Amino acid sequence: VPDDAQQPAAPLPGTQDLLFEAARRLRRCEAALCRVFEAAQYSEVIPPAIESADVFGPEAFRALDRGGRLVALRADFTAQVARIAATRLAGVSPLRLYYRGSIVRRVEGGSVYERLQAGCELVGAPGPDADAELLSLASAALAALGLRSARISVGTMGYFAALIRAAGCSPRLAGALSDAVDRKDLPMLRGLCEREVPPGKARDAILVLAQPPRPQRQAAQLLAQAEALAPSDDARAALQRIAATLALAKGDLEVDLGEVRGLGYYTGIVFNLYAQGAPRPVGGGGRYDSLLGRFGDPRPAVGFSLDLDALAPLAELS
Amino acid sequence: VITIALPKGRLQRPVLERFAAAGVKPEEDPATTRRLIIPAGAQARFVVLKDADVPLYVERGAAELGVCGLDQVLESGADLLTPIDFGFGKCRLCLAAPRGSKAAQQTALADASELGRSLRVASKYPRLTAKWFARRGVPVDLVHLSGSVELAAVSGLTDAIVDLVETGRTLEENGLVIVDDLLQVSARLVVNRAAYRLKVEELLPLLEALG
Repeated sequence: VPDDAQQPAAPLPGTQDLLFEAARRLRRCEAALCRVFEAAQYSEVIPPAIESADVFGPEAFRALDRGGRLVALRADFTAQVARIAATRLAGVSPLRLYYRGSIVRRVEGGSVYERLQAGCELVGAPGPDADAELLSLASAALAALGLRSARISVGTMGYFAALIRAAGCSPRLAGALSDAVDRKDLPMLRGLCEREVPPGKARDAILVLAQPPRPQRQAAQLLAQAEALAPSDDARAALQRIAATLALAKGDLEVDLGEVRGLGYYTGIVFNLYAQGAPRPVGGGGRYDSLLGRFGDPRPAVGFSLDLDALAPLAELS
Repeated sequence: VITIALPKGRLQRPVLERFAAAGVKPEEDPATTRRLIIPAGAQARFVVLKDADVPLYVERGAAELGVCGLDQVLESGADLLTPIDFGFGKCRLCLAAPRGSKAAQQTALADASELGRSLRVASKYPRLTAKWFARRGVPVDLVHLSGSVELAAVSGLTDAIVDLVETGRTLEENGLVIVDDLLQVSARLVVNRAAYRLKVEELLPLLEALG
């Protein structure tokens, strides 16, 4: 095998060239999604591919510009849309915005990957009806791509955060618990709880977070069981909120109170999208009520993004 | 059909016993057949793999579930669900060094400068080893080996090794002592994230029977 330096012509691992049929497929998927978003009264925004690094998290690919300013390639559309909404569109509510394009992120070990995304953000709408609108829209987007047996797994960051507060966990312990819940690692969760969490309602409630997801029709039962264990008003409020959202949302939904994975800024509902044939989530979203505040216009917002690279090969467009 | 990644080696027999108790039995004995994919009734099939390859097969969805040691789950860095600890295949991932050597003293780790250079460590587990030392702020010169790891410390290739220890007899016979534990290992069930959501109706009865 010749040395890497002698093969400068191949794309970097984690990136790709899309040619001909693959390019056509991807653009047709993108167009199908844009039609769904436009029909739901969402308007397109096109943010720049590079901007000040403090808009993004540590996963962004950064460099110093000539003036010594830290800039980054777009790592996340949501943060850019939040910046736009909080600055040029400050105070205009509700805002329905969508986007499409690529993001670049660093991975452990120093390399990068690029993904094509399309997604929606609804800014300035605080209620469960807004959460449900986004869930229904995500579901309609998957249907527009002809994906049968796609599923949305819905959880809430608010509930987990309330349990962590009630149990008085340190940030380190909260991280370990979140990781165990995310991996459905009941043995690890039990060990952590027994060693480090004081006995009580909060601990009991944390322990049931690793249980399997339930279809939407069994949601009431699952949420009632969780409410019986809820240690605080915050926790109860988070559960009532997700129940109200699920009552309004359309699609093949699944409730999973252990769905705690998402971008660091999620504060309420959080969801991941799964499609037959894809071994990983093909999209996800959530509510982020404190992100716009970072740009000077504190307003609630909720959104989702779809991974077009994963979806395009699976789509069945008529 | 649910595809189950079955590890070769010492875990295979106890894993098959647990699956048999849950009503999933391979139609041929994986230990003797040459077939790589072995049906197990109408609902399931086994694929037989080296245990280090189990996490990737499951992460990428070629198998919905699999069994391997926690060491392999963490070393692979694969993004998986790990709902069940089978409790067998117990061992420890340990840091070991020649008895009486500088590296054999815990204080030498805290102050590796005593060696006058970075600590040299050999392992089949470069990711776990690097993470463990990084968390302690100790710089290491990591040598990634594929087998006979004890030999590295005995022959002077490295100051210490990180390897699985079951009884400790091999270490003892080669004049090595355990300096610290990195991880308690046992056999874990690993499940693909998407399969867990999309095939929950099929998988749950099996997971309950296994757990």
